Amino acid sequence: CRLNIDGLLVYFPYDYIYPEQYSYMLELKRTLDAKGHGALEMPSGTGKTVSLLSLIVAYQRAFPLEVTKLIYCSRTVPEIEKVVEELRRLIDFYEKETGERSSFLALALSSRKNLCVHPEVSSLRFGKEVDGKCHSLTASYIRAQRHSDSSVQTCRFYEEFDALGRQVPLPAGIYNLDDLKSFGRRRGWCPYYLARYSILHANVVVYSYHYLLDPKIADLVSKELAKKSVVVFDEAHNIDNVCIDSMSVNITRRTLDRTQSNIETLQNTIQRIKDTDASRLQEEYRRLVEGLKEANVARETDVYLSNPVLPDEILQEAVPGSIRSAEHFVGFLKRLLEYLKSRLRVQHVVQESPPQFLKDAFEKVCIDRKPLRFCAERLRSLLRTLEIADIADFSAVTLISNFATLVSTYSKGFTIIIEPFEDRTPSIANPILHFSCMDSSIAIKPVFERFQTVIITSGTLSPLDIYPKILDFRPVTMASFTMTLARACLCPLIVGRGNDQVAISSKFETREDIAVIRNYGNLLLEMSSVVPDGIVAFFTSYQYMENIVASWYEQGILENIQRNKLIFIETQDAAETSMALEKYQEACENGRGAILLSVARGKVSEGIDFVHHFGRAVIMFGVPYVYTQSRLLKARLEYLRDQFQIRENDFLTFDAMRHAAQCVGRVIRGKTDYGLMIFADKRYARADKRGKLPRWIQEHITDSSLNLTIDETVQLSKHFLRDMAQPFKEDQLGLSLLTLDQLQSEEMLKKIAQIAHQI
Amino acid sequence: MDEEPERAKRWEGGYERTWEILKEDESGSLKATVENILFKAKRKRVFEPHGQVRLGMMRHLYVVVDTSRTMEDQDLKPNRLTSTLKLLEYFVEEYFDQNPISQMGIITTKNKRAEKLTDLAGNPKKHIADLKKAKDTTCVGEPSLYNSLSLAMQTLRHMPGHASREVLVIFSSLTTCDPANIYELIKSLKALKIRVSVIGLSAEVRVCTVLTRETGGTYHVILDESHYKELLQYHVKPHPASSSSECSLIRMGFPQHTIASTCDQDSKPSFSMAHLDSSGSGPSLTLGGYYCPQCRAKYTELPVECKVCGLTLVSAPHLARSFHHLFPLDPFTETPLQDYQGEKFCQGCQGELKDQNVYMCTSCQCVFCVECDLFIHESLHCCPSCIHSQPNPPGI
Repeated sequence: CRLNIDGLLVYFPYDYIYPEQYSYMLELKRTLDAKGHGALEMPSGTGKTVSLLSLIVAYQRAFPLEVTKLIYCSRTVPEIEKVVEELRRLIDFYEKETGERSSFLALALSSRKNLCVHPEVSSLRFGKEVDGKCHSLTASYIRAQRHSDSSVQTCRFYEEFDALGRQVPLPAGIYNLDDLKSFGRRRGWCPYYLARYSILHANVVVYSYHYLLDPKIADLVSKELAKKSVVVFDEAHNIDNVCIDSMSVNITRRTLDRTQSNIETLQNTIQRIKDTDASRLQEEYRRLVEGLKEANVARETDVYLSNPVLPDEILQEAVPGSIRSAEHFVGFLKRLLEYLKSRLRVQHVVQESPPQFLKDAFEKVCIDRKPLRFCAERLRSLLRTLEIADIADFSAVTLISNFATLVSTYSKGFTIIIEPFEDRTPSIANPILHFSCMDSSIAIKPVFERFQTVIITSGTLSPLDIYPKILDFRPVTMASFTMTLARACLCPLIVGRGNDQVAISSKFETREDIAVIRNYGNLLLEMSSVVPDGIVAFFTSYQYMENIVASWYEQGILENIQRNKLIFIETQDAAETSMALEKYQEACENGRGAILLSVARGKVSEGIDFVHHFGRAVIMFGVPYVYTQSRLLKARLEYLRDQFQIRENDFLTFDAMRHAAQCVGRVIRGKTDYGLMIFADKRYARADKRGKLPRWIQEHITDSSLNLTIDETVQLSKHFLRDMAQPFKEDQLGLSLLTLDQLQSEEMLKKIAQIAHQI
Repeated sequence: MDEEPERAKRWEGGYERTWEILKEDESGSLKATVENILFKAKRKRVFEPHGQVRLGMMRHLYVVVDTSRTMEDQDLKPNRLTSTLKLLEYFVEEYFDQNPISQMGIITTKNKRAEKLTDLAGNPKKHIADLKKAKDTTCVGEPSLYNSLSLAMQTLRHMPGHASREVLVIFSSLTTCDPANIYELIKSLKALKIRVSVIGLSAEVRVCTVLTRETGGTYHVILDESHYKELLQYHVKPHPASSSSECSLIRMGFPQHTIASTCDQDSKPSFSMAHLDSSGSGPSLTLGGYYCPQCRAKYTELPVECKVCGLTLVSAPHLARSFHHLFPLDPFTETPLQDYQGEKFCQGCQGELKDQNVYMCTSCQCVFCVECDLFIHESLHCCPSCIHSQPNPPGI
């Protein structure tokens, strides 16, 4: 249907619309109008993606000069593909309604592993291998060699693309990953490079977070994207951690060993080249004297997305003399490596700030700050000059040089922690140097600065006000939407006591208490006898889960549970977990019923949906606080307190509650779905915890569902499940599902206004 | 929160209209929707447009009763098993009352096994007697959906194509213990056109949803005892036959009841053929009875399949009773009370019309209240005022 969103004509590819979608689009429109950033929370399963796409595409068509591109960032490949399919539907609808072929180009971009069509390369199993092999076939000097020596292998797809692909733009249309591949096969062009090239003029680009947030990749892929783009981060509840991870560096003994061999290779290559082709090195030297002027010009003219690893100051200066020559640079790297090795030989934990580290480095091995800063850039230049085919092999030395640049560039927002062993295994020496980013705004800052509108959205983004703080941006809209429902299909219950009235909680003092563990067991046992098909239970950590399951086994609780349902356990091994998950789904499917024991923050809690019978109930055992004894966390908390005035406790609770919400949110994936959400910890009943849950869950928590005993929970669950099993007619129409006419009625517009909760 | 008062009103409105009081619950709004659904389901039964649809009047139904551990649950009083058996007794009676030329059998499942309680037969008394006996069974272990369905399938597959093949599962457990992949079995059930319906006693189980959807049955979950009864009632009426089922003519015998007069010297008391196999219980020697027109075997009760020549013996009233399924009374039109202009009295019970809706007969324009509407459609099967206005009632 066609909608009028605040004066904008929006084509919406479905006959019916949820009221919250309408409201969501209103907010979105406002954000685009203001050319500002926004944070929007809307429950999953209410058609967030299609609302986003319809509105932004409509906006693009209405104001082609204001918004030129939509960059949609999602987390996983299946999610990316889902977005593109939704977009395809929308564009088909446009064509049907307007009757004209649209000149709209949209495409998905993913790694080489998902896009390669080369028969040999694409059969490799790991992404890294594919990247390395691809590079060894397509690097410029390899191709140059081929001119003289035809026995050198190249990739014919890349050759074709390079010869023809750039002249003719990709024909308009919607390209999913498979479409790109089949298009590439048909034309004989490399789909990966074609996609990378085409994103520059595409109307919509759908790719993973890392292409924008990880400085190493962003620099290659997203540098030239237009400023007047709208960037959407979907499922962004963990965006701060993604930012931090992309800026952090961990160095182990293994890394250093590999660096050592990398440097040796470099040295040998330099020696060889010097003997054969000394002019190449001289040419490089000359270039370095010129400095990075070009990059600087580009940045000033605002062509590129800035790279946080390449700070502004560097651009204005030339590479310092001490590392200009290739040999000197290798020598410099050697010294740096030795220094790092000596730092890893510690007996106790060391924590220091970047300036302290630099000072120490200067005192011990006379490494100055300035050459360190140019390390990453210098290495890149060297690798180019030496014409090294397989860059993947040099990841270790690249990592070290990135570390060198970061540590010398940022004096604030980072910390260095050297641990001689892991906390859990104090007897095994396994020294790690954590160079940890504490400020999530560093990685995302260029994105906010460059693009005119950045939308952060997710099903669970509560409390909303903390995100602008930790990401350091000023949103023009912040809103949380509720889910309008024809029937109350989610049932959050807070269990605070066992039947013996012992308070249940995972807090540190009582977590070993046998009564608490027994009550947790009883809860699961009772629930397993009333909930059909699948139950998902989340624990706060692997260790806690192991302890509890072991003592359930001793108490015989496990045996009783197994009379009702099969039990599957998530482990840290990905293959094992996906096996367990598969069997779990099979057991749910054929009526045997199953329980999946998993861990908050684990793979299951983040990426796996438990629709319908795969998850009729989810039980959250305890509050999933992050491991507070970790030094990295302590450092980050301290930083947040000093820099952003966020109290430790607030952040910890926020972090715990967003993970709890993420876990329980797995169970409701749409309006026809239903599920129980059981919070098994007394502390959830407190206002400071409860208030941090997303509003669409919060509004279903009534006073009567607080601090229940196990018996009461079972009674309420039984009632709920029976009610939900009643045939669900299309009664939603007019209440939670609207036709165009209904939408335009005065009364409904008033109701819609209440759905969005502005903050 | 602004919606709350409005909801409360709706809830009260729903409350007035119901005829069974549901247990009270804090979350009133939720109940109201359920009550609405219930009410509508009730109405829907009346409304189901049978029209000129062919109905499977000769039914072969297996009732599978779960007697696993979960049946000892006391959420139905005194427990699920007793309550179920009691309702089933009532169901058996109704079933044979409404479907006199149909047959039924009962299967129980527990401890991963399934066994027949009664074979497929047309005599309600036998079923009821066995159901009464079953009250003392102990409920242990898990049920097996697979075993009970394949047991039912073994018998039903041999039933003639013109008769419906149905299974009604009363499923209390949330799990089933199957020896093989149940989805294969569902496929063969579908191929054999066996319709499986499920009444769940605790919650919606995925495998039952698939089972009923694939085989064309219905799946309901009970809310409480009265709802349970109603759901069973739903299965009393025959369902429309699938268009693919065979048509065939059936030979039937209509024996007359002959009472040998006591003064007749020739008349001697004789055994009923039906009692031959039952071990000498009851008065087996009688004077009169129904004599099979083909082989002169004597029976004391109808309907029955002749033991000697296999002819189906029925009486005319039996067929007549099934007849109304074929020509159902048209549903009454529903109009809101405020729109209705005439006198506000129900033609059926003469009570004042108070509910939100009134129901009007399409042919004689008389209005009825919802209770009378249900009564007319479920029990009378003809509109009283139509009959009243016509001096010569047409046929039935």
